[in-house]
Amino acid sequence: MLLLLLLLRLVNMADQNKTGTEGKLFSEILSPSELFAARSRSHKIPVRGQKDFFPNDSDEQRQRLEQSLNEHWSLTSEERVERLGNLVKAIWIPSDQIVELQSPAGNVQVFYRDLPLSIQDGYERFLSSATVSLQQYQVFGHLKRLGYVVHRFDPSSEPSSYAKQLNLPQSRDRAGRQLKRKRSPSPTATCSYTEAQVESTIEKMEEDKCSLEGDDAKKLAASPDIQTATTSGADEGRSWWMTDDLGASDKELHHSPTSGSSRWDFSSIPFPDVGSSERHPSCLAPPEPSLLPGDLTVGVCDIASWRRKINLRMVKMSSKEQKREKDKRRRRWDVNKDREVRRCRNWAEYHELLARRQRKRKGRPAHLWNREVTPLHDPKQPISTGELLDKISVIKSTHLLEGASRLKGSEQWRICFNVYQPDTVVDFKKSNPGKPYSRMCVCSFDGPVPDLRAIKLLAFQSGDIPVVFAVVDHGDISFYTFKDFQLPIDVFP
Amino acid sequence: MQAEFRAPRRRTRVQEEYEAPLPVSLRPEERSLFRAELINQHVLVWDPEQIQKIHNQGFFGKGVLSRARPDHSISDQWEEHEGLFLPLVSQARYEELLRWAGATLSAQGLDEEAVNQTLLQLSQPIGTEDLRGEGQMMNGQEGPGPEDEASPCTERAGPEGGASPCTERANPNPDSDSFSDFDSEPGPGPGSGSGSLVPGPGFVLVVSDSEAAVQIREVRRTPLSLSEYLQLSLEEAFFLVYGLGCLSVHMHQEPLSIVQLWRKFRSLHPDFVSSYAAYHHFRSRGWVPKEGGGAKYGVNLMLYRKGPPFYHASYSVVIERADDAFEGSVLHPFSWRSLAALSRITASVSKELMLCYVVYPTDQSEAELDSPECLSRLKVQEVIVGRWVSSRERAEQDDI
Repeated sequence: MLLLLLLLRLVNMADQNKTGTEGKLFSEILSPSELFAARSRSHKIPVRGQKDFFPNDSDEQRQRLEQSLNEHWSLTSEERVERLGNLVKAIWIPSDQIVELQSPAGNVQVFYRDLPLSIQDGYERFLSSATVSLQQYQVFGHLKRLGYVVHRFDPSSEPSSYAKQLNLPQSRDRAGRQLKRKRSPSPTATCSYTEAQVESTIEKMEEDKCSLEGDDAKKLAASPDIQTATTSGADEGRSWWMTDDLGASDKELHHSPTSGSSRWDFSSIPFPDVGSSERHPSCLAPPEPSLLPGDLTVGVCDIASWRRKINLRMVKMSSKEQKREKDKRRRRWDVNKDREVRRCRNWAEYHELLARRQRKRKGRPAHLWNREVTPLHDPKQPISTGELLDKISVIKSTHLLEGASRLKGSEQWRICFNVYQPDTVVDFKKSNPGKPYSRMCVCSFDGPVPDLRAIKLLAFQSGDIPVVFAVVDHGDISFYTFKDFQLPIDVFP
Repeated sequence: MQAEFRAPRRRTRVQEEYEAPLPVSLRPEERSLFRAELINQHVLVWDPEQIQKIHNQGFFGKGVLSRARPDHSISDQWEEHEGLFLPLVSQARYEELLRWAGATLSAQGLDEEAVNQTLLQLSQPIGTEDLRGEGQMMNGQEGPGPEDEASPCTERAGPEGGASPCTERANPNPDSDSFSDFDSEPGPGPGSGSGSLVPGPGFVLVVSDSEAAVQIREVRRTPLSLSEYLQLSLEEAFFLVYGLGCLSVHMHQEPLSIVQLWRKFRSLHPDFVSSYAAYHHFRSRGWVPKEGGGAKYGVNLMLYRKGPPFYHASYSVVIERADDAFEGSVLHPFSWRSLAALSRITASVSKELMLCYVVYPTDQSEAELDSPECLSRLKVQEVIVGRWVSSRERAEQDDI
């Protein structure tokens, strides 16, 4: 089974110069006394005392420093002792660049051609530039120790933008999911088909849904006709009631076998999807008469007016907006309401008034208005702030994904890991981890900062998951995000 | 994934009233045509009324003697006196001002006799009726303004500017004369017209230094007026000219057309197109971008909602240009070190760091860039830079 590099804890097998063991053969397996000594080691982490701010050449200071350094040294040089039985054997396969674990993960002892690898070997082989760089490992280790779940990022396993558009469920072997798919948009048409045919119809419908051509409208529009046609045809094969007798209903294929008394089988009753935004006939065929109580007969239903009322978003206007709406309505200016116009007794006077007003309108400075480029707005014109802002918006705003699809990949900027939050471990399954919390791109502190191109490229590859840049500075890691943003319009009337 | 919009933080004490978002009135009767001079690479507005309008309605520009709004005046205290609102100066201060005026006059070549005469004339107490009349005349006199009479834009309402008790800045104090005396700047446009020897006819309220409980206040002329003018940045000036059509910029008494202004500004600032595109974009979103973030926060612009007196700045903006292939950070070559430093500073002042990329189409020629019409082909991409802390407590609380 192919496993990703999840946990790599190597046993320290570096030999140490133990005093008094010059002639002795080095043995990995500890003698009882050595084991006892190891177990009873103090597990205290040396405490860092108060800081001294400058060296003062005193003996006391030197002594303290030395002691602290010794403690740190002995701590880091400690051998980690593992029970032999706890170690999991794993084999390093360089051609595939993986370490294959023989049993589920635990503390690992890696073998290559039946020889155990030391940490140095591990460093050289595993953390080469072709596989995982040291920096990536550092980030990996940092996040793992904090509890996050970190997986390698595989760009091919992410759905393409087209697939995302289709909103297909990830392929699963469960028939249950497919059932739901069948219920839209014209379910009865599929009832009498076999499963294989159903699937192809589904796919065709999916494609039709996504293509924006008009010719498939015919197909979908035709299906309600099929619906009415087959209603009469397939009656005997259909039953709304589930019984224990599966034989009669296995033509349907979509019963989940249940025991118990008869009840409505809603999965086989077609409900029209009025709210979907696809092209839809404005008339609904009447439902099955067997679904209706008693002698009730229902004709064709015209749902055009209802469809106009659904899928509307309520606009809640603030008081300022409402005032603006009122103002706009008020500004519908009626020429007859103008007092000066009223005072004109005949057309000649009216023309005079217009000419006077025209002359008063001078004040458009020639150097601004009589040239090739004029201002975007004439301050003489009364205009509301919102309209004014709209008028002067000549520069368009763009977003990160625009134009990102044509960017070619880059060697320098790659997404390395998918990161999942620690508390989602409960629902976490290796085969279906769900959507990651973020994706990591590892880079070095001494390297370049991503330019717009890199940001766009990675945002496109990542889809709707935020990209985090892990910047490694010799062991210290900082995380930065570069997020898309559109400044909202702020209007004070 | 999109960055979340954080609501701007209001200032705790707001002392100003909000007039209007932009100096373009919604009522056509009000003239909103302003005039500025381009002098030595700076765009300056002299007229106090225009200064008030331009600054209060949109927060354009900066007073040269003040921190933000031009509020430099001869005194910090103003008082109402018989229906007039005047600045208050002490007797000692008044005498000091007289001495300075005298020194200026002597420097102009007047002999001592003439100087003393002038000063005596100046320091006569003035009755309030005279004051009003004077104010009117003064304003009528300088009706055409400190500039030439060819410009139609400085038509002013007569008595309004003079002795109105309602306006806060009722100092009927034109800049013209005082500048030619007081300012040593070479060839400023205003003022050389009248050529009078008497320094500025402003008015002050002089308080005698007596120990009496009630101190007598007398209205006198200001010996010297220290008027302030408004300095607009190139982007602000161009926005007022091109975007709103309410400003005219003159150079050597000649009004400049939009294209001339564009070219002149491009010659003064090599990256004017990018910085103007960003400025125009933020203004057309209804936000107030202010320069001056450079010295304080290391960025090009600070973005305010409504204006600096009302809200703390929400964003620190770094303007960057990018071509069609989205490559190159040419204006601010960042290293991780400098970006980390900038991010830290921005976070410690509770703002968000925004990179504003101005995207140029590849097929845009140099000739196209020579006219402001190239702006319609540019696009702006806003990116928010944030830090993510990996420690568990933080992660549980907020999303990236």
